[in-house]
Amino acid sequence: MTLPLLVVLMLLNGCAEKEKFIVYGPSQNGSEVEALIKEEDYVERSTVIYYDDSMLVAVQIKPWEKWKKAKLEKKLQKKFEEKYPNKDVFVSADYKIFYEANKIKKDQIEDNKLNDKITELKDLAKEET
Amino acid sequence: MEKEQYQQLEQNVTPKPPYLKNVAKAFFVGGLICAIGQAVSLFYIIFFNFTEATAGNPTVATMVFFAMLLTGLGLYKRIGQFAGAGSAVPVTGFGNAVISAAIEHRSEGLVLGVGGNLFKLAGSVVLFGVVSAFFVALIKYILVTIGVVSW
Amino acid sequence: MVIIFQSKPSLLAGGVVAGPLENRSIFSQYFDAVYDDERWQMKTNEQGHRKMIEEACDAAMKKIGVQSGDIDYFMGGDLVNQMTPTNFAARDLEIPFIGLFSACATSVSSAIVACLLTELGAANFSLAGASSQHNAIERQFRYPINYGAQKPKTAQWTVTAAGYALIGKHREEYPSIEAATIGKSVDYGMDDPFHMGAAMAPAAFQTIQSHLQQRNQKIYHYDLILTGDLGQLGLKLLKGMLVENGVKNEELTLLRDAGAEFYGQDEAFQSGASGAGCSAAVFFSYVIQQMRAGSYKRVLLVATGALLSPLSYQQGETIPCTAHAIEITMK
Repeated sequence: MTLPLLVVLMLLNGCAEKEKFIVYGPSQNGSEVEALIKEEDYVERSTVIYYDDSMLVAVQIKPWEKWKKAKLEKKLQKKFEEKYPNKDVFVSADYKIFYEANKIKKDQIEDNKLNDKITELKDLAKEET
Repeated sequence: MEKEQYQQLEQNVTPKPPYLKNVAKAFFVGGLICAIGQAVSLFYIIFFNFTEATAGNPTVATMVFFAMLLTGLGLYKRIGQFAGAGSAVPVTGFGNAVISAAIEHRSEGLVLGVGGNLFKLAGSVVLFGVVSAFFVALIKYILVTIGVVSW
Repeated sequence: MVIIFQSKPSLLAGGVVAGPLENRSIFSQYFDAVYDDERWQMKTNEQGHRKMIEEACDAAMKKIGVQSGDIDYFMGGDLVNQMTPTNFAARDLEIPFIGLFSACATSVSSAIVACLLTELGAANFSLAGASSQHNAIERQFRYPINYGAQKPKTAQWTVTAAGYALIGKHREEYPSIEAATIGKSVDYGMDDPFHMGAAMAPAAFQTIQSHLQQRNQKIYHYDLILTGDLGQLGLKLLKGMLVENGVKNEELTLLRDAGAEFYGQDEAFQSGASGAGCSAAVFFSYVIQQMRAGSYKRVLLVATGALLSPLSYQQGETIPCTAHAIEITMK
């Protein structure tokens, strides 16, 4: 009786540990952005990178919603543009962008380099071939 | 013996293809090939500067490369005998069709032999793929214009 | 009508040469040579095919010590377009040549023509036979060699082999040909090129029936009735048709098929072997040698052939087949 209970508890613990919504950047309006994303129930995980007026929102859509990936991406983009009209926000549901954004957070890249990286990722996401 | 009688006899004697077994084999081999394709895709996404959107091209190229190696070594036909549609339907099957034709017709030279016969088996795939893509796009365009769906 | 050879031309020798895969054949011990390169070190499969024919003819001629200058006629054919390998072999052999196409029944149809010429007194020695090369024929009739198409259990494997018999005037100590039946082109509505056995069985049935009837014989008059390449399934169908016609089960054991037995029980070859070289290789090696050893006294060799082309199949036609028979006896 105790063994399966222990296993389940450990598994649940593990689930809570993983950070699903990450916001990385110099100033601290992170919780606001996080709340905005958590509203959308089709987002499984997200990593937001920002520096000054430039923001990159990398999301991973939940498996069954992936059929509408492009539409949901656009929806989220519009939402962010309404909320932050003076900032240059870019939303991407692409795995590469998400992966690179996580790398940026892991390597703790700062300042100018961070700005360059964000621009680089935005250009990459816009590529078509 | 009359024709109908013989055809009846033939039906009785000829073994039925093991459909269920064939479906299972095709499913697993086809799935395996697609899993390998996904691994290749992830490889390009993680180690190179490709996004999910742009990784399609190098992935297909790599899969066709694998098909070329297997075809040239005579291994793809063994996989094909086992898997049937499982190895014929993915892009590796298309690669195998083109490459095996190319190898076969080398003896007639590059232009008339290889060039002329390269798409002997795969020509239909290319033709009907393009034609059906055209019609699907046309139908979608008409539906959007009417207002039933949006882009 | 059955052809009776009063002068009883003899099968003086048989020359059989095969490719590497045919080493797996249960008959390989009877072949004169088995090569390890299916192209015989030539540049193309078709050239290898030609070389194989020449080697088979040489092997036959050597056995009784004649040369190509002593041969009066060369009769043969293969499955390649316009039979070019046989044509080119004839060019190199420099013997008066008639090419014959009876698909996989060519081994016997060419033997029949050679016997007629011998009976007529027009020939002292003739070469008759057939051949097939797997790669050259698959490419023409089906798919490129390396294509991964799945073959059904009813399919047969085209052998790489050439079998040529040296036919001459009657000699007591050699198997002799007493009679022959030329088959009709028979079509029972079969249309699957991957199930040739079913298409050819009716032709074999008709030829055997006709021969036995015209000769006033029954199956038990023979020690062996050997068909060319019906395959395991085609043989089953032939036996089914004979049973329907009143043949007893004990007699059916006298019926064998070269294609069904060629590769033994190996499942990789599905229903068995086929090809013009299949009947030729087995008839002109195994059968001749067994008869000379005294195992068989009276044998009926029935080569079967499917008279289709890749085009006829694509155009939706059914597959007419033929079977030719020769009756061979040994003192």
